[in-house]
This record gives sequence, structure tokens and C-alpha cells, in this order.
Amino acid sequence: MSQTVANALPLLIVLSSLLPGLVIFALREDQQGLRTFLNLAGVVVKLVLTGVMIVGVSHGLSFRFVVPFIPGGDLILQTDALSLQFVGLSSVLWLATTLYAIGYLGGSPLRSRFFGYFSLCVSATVGLAMAGNLVSFLLFYELLTLATFPLVVHRGTPDALRAGRVYLAYTLGGGTLVLMGVALLHTLTGSPDFVPGGYLKALVEQHPFSLTLAFVLLVTGLGVKAAIVPLHGWLPRAMVAPAPVSALLHAVAVVKAGAFGIIRVVYDVFGAGPVQVLDLAQPLLWAAAATMVYASLRALQQREIKKLLAYSTVSQVSYIILGVALLGPIAATGALVHLVHQGLMKVTLFYCAGNFAESLHVHRLRDMNGIGQRMPLTMAAFTVGALGMIGVPPIAGFISKWYLGLGALEVGQDWVLLVLVGSGLLNAAYFLPVLYRGWFGRAPDAWPGDTQLGGGTPGWRETHWMLLAPTLFTATLSLLAGVLAGTGFSPLAWAQLIIATEFAP
Amino acid sequence: MTLFYLCIGGGLFVLGLHSLLLRPHWLRAIMAINIMGSGVFMVMVALARRGDTTDPVLHALVVTGLVIAVSATAFALRLASGLLERTKKPEGGA
Amino acid sequence: MTLALISLLTPLAMALLLLLSRSRSGWWVMGSSLVSLIAALGALHGVIQDGAQWMHLGGWDAPLAIRFRLMPVSALLLVFTALIHLLVSVYAERSRHSQTQRTDYWPLSSLLHASLAALWLSHDLFNWYITLELLGLVAVAMVTISGAKAYVPALRYLLLSLVASLFYLLGVVLLYGHYGVLDLALLADAAKADPTTRLALALMTLGLMLKAAFWPLHLWLPPAHASAPTAVSALLSALVVKGPLFILWLLWSELAPAELGQEAGPVIAVAGVLALIFGGWSALRAPYLKTLVAYSTVAQLGYAMMALGLLLHWQRPELHVALWLFVLAHGLAKVSMFLAAGEMQATLGSKSVGVLKGATQTMPIAMFAFAVAGGSLIGLPPSGGFLAKWVLLRPLLLEPAHWPWAAGVLIGTLMSAGYVFRVVVLSFDRAHPTRPDHRPDLFAQWLALLPALLVWGMALISDPLILWLTGGAP
Repeated sequence: MSQTVANALPLLIVLSSLLPGLVIFALREDQQGLRTFLNLAGVVVKLVLTGVMIVGVSHGLSFRFVVPFIPGGDLILQTDALSLQFVGLSSVLWLATTLYAIGYLGGSPLRSRFFGYFSLCVSATVGLAMAGNLVSFLLFYELLTLATFPLVVHRGTPDALRAGRVYLAYTLGGGTLVLMGVALLHTLTGSPDFVPGGYLKALVEQHPFSLTLAFVLLVTGLGVKAAIVPLHGWLPRAMVAPAPVSALLHAVAVVKAGAFGIIRVVYDVFGAGPVQVLDLAQPLLWAAAATMVYASLRALQQREIKKLLAYSTVSQVSYIILGVALLGPIAATGALVHLVHQGLMKVTLFYCAGNFAESLHVHRLRDMNGIGQRMPLTMAAFTVGALGMIGVPPIAGFISKWYLGLGALEVGQDWVLLVLVGSGLLNAAYFLPVLYRGWFGRAPDAWPGDTQLGGGTPGWRETHWMLLAPTLFTATLSLLAGVLAGTGFSPLAWAQLIIATEFAP
Repeated sequence: MTLFYLCIGGGLFVLGLHSLLLRPHWLRAIMAINIMGSGVFMVMVALARRGDTTDPVLHALVVTGLVIAVSATAFALRLASGLLERTKKPEGGA
Repeated sequence: MTLALISLLTPLAMALLLLLSRSRSGWWVMGSSLVSLIAALGALHGVIQDGAQWMHLGGWDAPLAIRFRLMPVSALLLVFTALIHLLVSVYAERSRHSQTQRTDYWPLSSLLHASLAALWLSHDLFNWYITLELLGLVAVAMVTISGAKAYVPALRYLLLSLVASLFYLLGVVLLYGHYGVLDLALLADAAKADPTTRLALALMTLGLMLKAAFWPLHLWLPPAHASAPTAVSALLSALVVKGPLFILWLLWSELAPAELGQEAGPVIAVAGVLALIFGGWSALRAPYLKTLVAYSTVAQLGYAMMALGLLLHWQRPELHVALWLFVLAHGLAKVSMFLAAGEMQATLGSKSVGVLKGATQTMPIAMFAFAVAGGSLIGLPPSGGFLAKWVLLRPLLLEPAHWPWAAGVLIGTLMSAGYVFRVVVLSFDRAHPTRPDHRPDLFAQWLALLPALLVWGMALISDPLILWLTGGAP
């Protein structure tokens, strides 16, 4: 493949959802078939192109798209192992969520607008994943905020608008902080590409204060999207959005973008060494640990399914930050692999929540009694997700927690192990009762909100097939990711590959 | 002599400005602005005499300035009278 | 230089023709703006290739001569003016709601264009006085097109404009009396930091700040821009207030001795930060949509003031690139915002901000234009506003002593985000959308979107743009 064609591939991946998205905006509400076709075509093209890139990278090809952007900083889209992992995760989950969203939104109004912005979100996410330097990352980070906002306020109710305002206040504020951090670093070093191991080593001695300030600005700004306490306030409120949006925001787009950004900043901009020297990891570690515990405690108090899952997300994403802040290769592996695993598991849980809401109008935990008898497949998927969150083998969550624990021991921060165990216990405390209730609770004779969606009988027809299939798909993936972790096909193997280059001498 | 007229010109300027700062009725405001303008023109005329010979450039500038002042005053008066017609009572000025 | 002159003379001739022939058709003006734009582009190309050019009016020699100077910044501003005039003319002619279709808007706007072109090209203090007066009178006349309700703000604008001109004139006269020349380049060589020069500069600056609506001398702007017809508001915010800014910039960076610049700089820059804060705060609380957009102009000028002030304070000429990038980005974004606001106001039937409830459903294109333009004002990448902010931030972050100024930029960003999203969030309200009074005019909405898209594409031409602007450094 010629180099120019290869270099266009990253751009094509971004365009594969951007162009259909723009066309979808212009469609009328009743042009359902065309809209579905465009959606799915875009996702499939994206998957194919991602596959091509993965194969290419494994054969030693490099893909790099560059256009001049601002003085001293080009817009760069490139494909290293880390970006490919995120792009791959995004593409797969997008396929599932698109299908889910088509089924979920059914005949509701303004679908063209929804799917238009939906596609813009994907484009922003993969652009962010493939960003080759801080300036490009900043561009897509801000575009992501702008693309996700209309989805949060999609329903247009006063609650949705309020949630949207809070969302904007947090994310735009965070984005401005990131801008300041990027600009500060730019004045010191220009905008070089991300380099495994970082490119700031030479400056640590002369500009410790500037570098520290830049780090604080960047991590705080990124931490808003990654929902580190106390910057997490927007997340539970954003639950007012439709379930596909919550699945999207929490599993892939916004939250992971923040965590991904922190990974890039710590490893590919600063590097583990400078972060250690400047003593920046310790506060981050404490923040992550505090978030894990605080969010789990708050989750215990929740009465609504989606709010519970929101706080669980806040807690779980901080596992990733924890792994990053430990600055050891094993912990980093755990962090990276948890990025994928948490995505899979959380998406599953949100799909299930959406299924319960759409089929039976069940939003609250106490209405879930015996729901497993009416919707066994969905409840089974929920169980897989919940057990994974707790860390029960062989589901994927166990693998990431194992590595995080080992990583903590490796760098000598033993107290982190306690936090991990404690958090796991808290997870059990709020998930196990739900599971018990769902399977062994006493079901009502007739479900009051039963919409008979998809047929209304337990089993394959318990809900619309477009809602059920993605749920089972991602649940299976969560299981497989754990079971196959030892083989070369798993996210774990991929994470180990990435870390090998990061910590190479 | 020049200094004397300069001071008078400056004094007129400040006088007009002072009147404006008191937020007067629009007619007084227009008059105040004209007085300020006259002050500036007087400064210009006085400065024209600062050397041995009269400086014609400044005289030319004064004439230009007068033309502009007249047009602007006419416009302001037309606007203000339009205002008066509309409300049938004097409006507050600047 | 010839092309620049054509760019100036075409709208002037058109204005006179229209006044004489009593025709009020917009097509002539669109044609003349197009010709002016092409000529200006040619002039820009010429000045990039050959460097700055001078022309002596009437063939006289300095110091008697009045000189025109064409530098890259002026050529760029000529292009900018012609482009905005063209865009707004198309709107004024073709939109159902423009209020300007058969009115005196046409000769007046051509005259406005001509005065501005003369301003960009002049390099002589008294010439600038003439162009400023022309600009002011024409602008006020255009405000009154919307009828008797605009008379009070228009009168106030006129009176303040006249006072400002007199301050400026007094300063010019003092300088002439002291140094004996009116030409800027000659004065730049001769100027010293003595009391007369200080007084003259202070008087001129006060006058120019009042005309350019620099905080805190901005109070005339929001009522005037809000009560004018939409097309006029767009021209006023995007172009008219930038003329005095140009003069101020050249005055302080070329004429004033460096010590005076260093003293005056912080004052202007601090006023800029306060403009961002207080202008943004007023925009957040404005009850009417156009008033909100007008206060946004006051706030955004704060960025320009910061760039100018810091340019003088630290004697870093490269900050003028930031200054003019702001002007270009702001002009395009503001045109888009005003056109969109005007359309939405007229279609949805009320002037208040609250009428925009649900506008993303009823008028999606206009709302999108507003949001995109707002994005540039906030400074989101990859818009022109982001580019300008980036260029401004670079020297601010270089030394820790300068970081407080960066905090000022940060606050400005957040306040802009506040008032833009005040409108955008409201427009997503599906619960009680406002029903349109009339059928929305789609063409006008797309027209409003065009400058917004242009300003977002600005980052793509950032390299050549910055090159041109640096080539024009005084």
C-alpha cells in the first residue's frame, strides 16, 4: 500500500462517521431506512478500516496524517498501539450502541438530529484516540464536548436542560484548563508528537514550576471528563439522557477520553521519570483512591438504577487513574486493560438498565424484584457485568483488578491494595443485593409498566431484538476478555504490548 | 498673544465639556458640543500664528472642521426634532 | 496601490450614484462590493509580493502631501471590509425581515465602506479625523433607518461621537502645533516624550476609545446596535468600531515614544480584562437578544484591548498579529451572530432572549449559525477565535510574571461561554418551543451560517494569514 494512501487512512476513519452524520442531519424524520443504512454503513466502514490498520501496524506499517493547523503545531492523526486500542474499542462499542439506539429510540421525535450528533461524537472520539500531539488532542477534546452536549439535552425537558447546563459548565471549564496547560507546554517545547516515555525529560531541571503547573492544569482539565472527585458532579446528572447516550458517555466517549488523555499526558508527554521527579504522581494517586471510595459510598445510597451505575462509573474510571499514577509497568497494564474491560462491562450494564426501562418501565431498584423471571437474558447479562465490576473471575474485571493489585505491590504502595480490596467489597455491597433482588425477589403477578416490547415473553422475545442483541454481545465480550486473557487475542495481551514500548529502556 | 487665545480656546473646550458632563437636555448638549468645537477651532487659529508667518495649513483645517461641524449639528438637530415630534416633550440628552 | 484605490473608489462612486439617481436597489451595491473585494484581493496579492506602497495625493511632496500607505494589514482589512459589506448586502437585499430593502441603507452602506477603506489607507492624522467623522455620521444615519424608536440611542451615539472627534481633533492640533507635521511617519521620527505630546496622546486616546467603545466608555454601544436594523448592527459591530482601533494601534505603536507606550499599555490591558468581565456579565443578564450580542462586542473588544495594551507594555510587536486575528475572527463571527439573531427575532416574533426556546427545532440553521459563531467568540478550536487566543496566550505564558494576564484570558473565555450557552441551552428546550410567526426564511439563515463557517475555517489558513500579518508589522 502506498504511503499516501496509508496516510489518508486515519482521516478516512474519522470521516467514516463524520460524513454520514452530516448527511443524517439533513434527513427527514420518516427516512428511517436511509438513516439506518447510513448509520450502519458508517460503523461497518470504520470497523473495516480499523481492521486494516491493525493488520498494517502488525506488519510494521505506519499511518500518519498531517495538516498544518496553528503556528508551531500541526494537526496529526497517527496510529500507535495505544490509539488503535481505543479506536478498536470505540468502533466495536459503537456498532453495538448504534443498533441499540435504533431500537431504543423507536419512533421518538428528532431522531435525525440525535443520530447526526451521535455520529459526530464517534468522529470526535476516534479523532481524539488518534491524535498525535497535544494540540490535536485538544481540538478533538473540545469537539467532543460540543458533540455530546446536544445528546445530553436531547429530551428537551427542564431536567435535561439543567443537566446540560451543568455538563457544559464542567466540561467547558475543564477544556479551558486543558487549553492553558497545552499552551503553557507549547511555549516551553513547541508541539512535538507524543513519544513513549515522554519528551519533557530535558526540561525538568530548568522549569520544574512551569511543568508542575502544566501538569496540574492538564490533569484537572482532563479529570473533569474522567470524573475524578470533586469534578464529577456532571455525571450523575447527565443520567437524564436516553440510555444509549448514557452507555456512550460512560463506556466510551467522554469518560474514557478523559482517562485516555491522562494516560497520554503521564506516559507520552511527561514520562514516568519526570512525573516521579516532580512528585506529581502521589496527589493523583490519592485523588484516584479517594474517588474510588467516595463514589462507591455514594453508589450505596442510590435508589435509581442509572444513578447507581453512574457512581459506579466514577469509581471504576478512577481505577484507571490509579493504575496510571502508580507509575509501574504492571499497574499501567492494569490501567490500560481496565479501560477496555470497564467499557465492555459498563456498556452491558447500561444496556440492561435501558432494557428494563423500555420494556417494563422499571427505573428504580426496588421495582426490580424478580425481574430475572420476566427478563432472564437481560438479567444474566446484568449479572455478568455486575460480577465483573466486583472482580469475580473469570469475567474481565477480575483481570484488571489483579494487575492493579500486583502493580501496587510492585511499586511498594501497599496501601493501595487495601483500597482496591475495600472498593471491591463496596462494589459487592451495592451490586449483590441488586442481583439477589433480581433473581430471587418475589415478582409481581403482572408487571405494571409492561409494554410487551418484542413479544413480552421471557427468553429471546423478552424485549425488542435490537435491544437484546447488543446487550448479549457485549456481555459475551466481557466474559471472553476475561477467559481468553492469557491468550494473544485479548485486550490484556494488547495492553502488555503497549506497555512494553512505554517502559522500554 | 497666541498664548492668550490658546487659553481661551482651551477654556471654551473645558466649558463645553463641563456642561456635557452634567447630562443636560439635548439642545444644551448640542450647543455645548458646538462651543467645544469653537474652542478647538480657536486653538487652531491661535496656533496658526505661532511662528513669524501665518500657517495656512491650520486655516485650511479650520475650514474643513467648520464644514463638518455645521453638517453634524444639522444632523443632530434634525434627529432631536424628530424625537421631539415623536414624544411631544423634551427628551433627556446625552 | 491602484487596486487599493479602486477598492476605495468603487463604493464611493456607487454611493454618489445612488444618491443622485434616487435608486434604492441593492443589486448595484452588491456588484460594487464584489468589484471592491476583487480589487482588494489584488491589492493584497500585490503588497505581499512587492512590499508596502506609498501614494502621495495630488502629487505633492511631504510634508505638505497627504499620503496613503498600503501595508499588508491595510490590504487585509480592505478585503475584510469588502467581504463583510458584500455578505451583509446580500442579506439586506434578500431577507424578508431585513427592514432595509427599499431604504437609504444602500447609499449609506457604500459610503460607510468607502470611509473605512479611506481610513485603512490613510497615514495622516487629519485624514483620519475626516474619515472618523464620515464614519460616525454615516453610522448614526444607518441606525435611524429602523425608525423613530432608534432616535434616542442614535442621538446619544451621535453626540458622543462628536465629542470624541473633538477630543481627537484637539490632540491632532496640539501635535501639529508642536511638531509641524500631520503625517504619521514624519511624526514618528520627530516625537519625543514631552508634556505636550503626552497631553495630545491622552486626548486622542480618550476620543478614540470612546469611538471604539472600549470599556468603560462603551455605554452608547449596546442601545445603538440593538435598535438598529439587523444588517446595520452587523456592520457596526464588525467594522465601524474597528476603525478607531486601527488608528489607536498605529498611533501608539508608531508615533508614541516607547516610554509612553510602556506607561499606557497596562492601563489599556487592564481595561481589556475588565471589559471581558463586565461586558460578559452584562451579556449574561441582557433581556433582549440583540442587546446580548451587542454586549458581546464590548466584551470581545477586551481581547483586542489586551493585545494592544500588552503590545505596548512589553514592546513586543508580534502581539499585533493577535490583535488583528481577533478583529478578523470577531468581525466574521459577529456578522453571523447578528444575522442569525435578527432572523430568529423576526421569525419568532419577539426581541427577548426567552423567545428562542426550542429554536433548534423551529429554526435549526439560524440557531446552528449562532452557536458556531459563538464557538469562535468563546475560542473553541479550530476556529479563528481560537487561533487569535492562542497567539495571544503564547507570550503570556512564557514567563511566570505574565501568568496573571493569562488568567484574565481564561476568565474571558468562561464568561463568553456563559452567555453563548445561555442562548444555546434555551434553544434546546423542547417542552415549550416558541411557534414561528412567519415561515422561516431559509436563504437568510444559510447566509447567516456562511460567515460562521468561514471563521471556523480560519485556522486552516493560519499559516499564510500570520505571514501576511507579520509582514505588515510597523
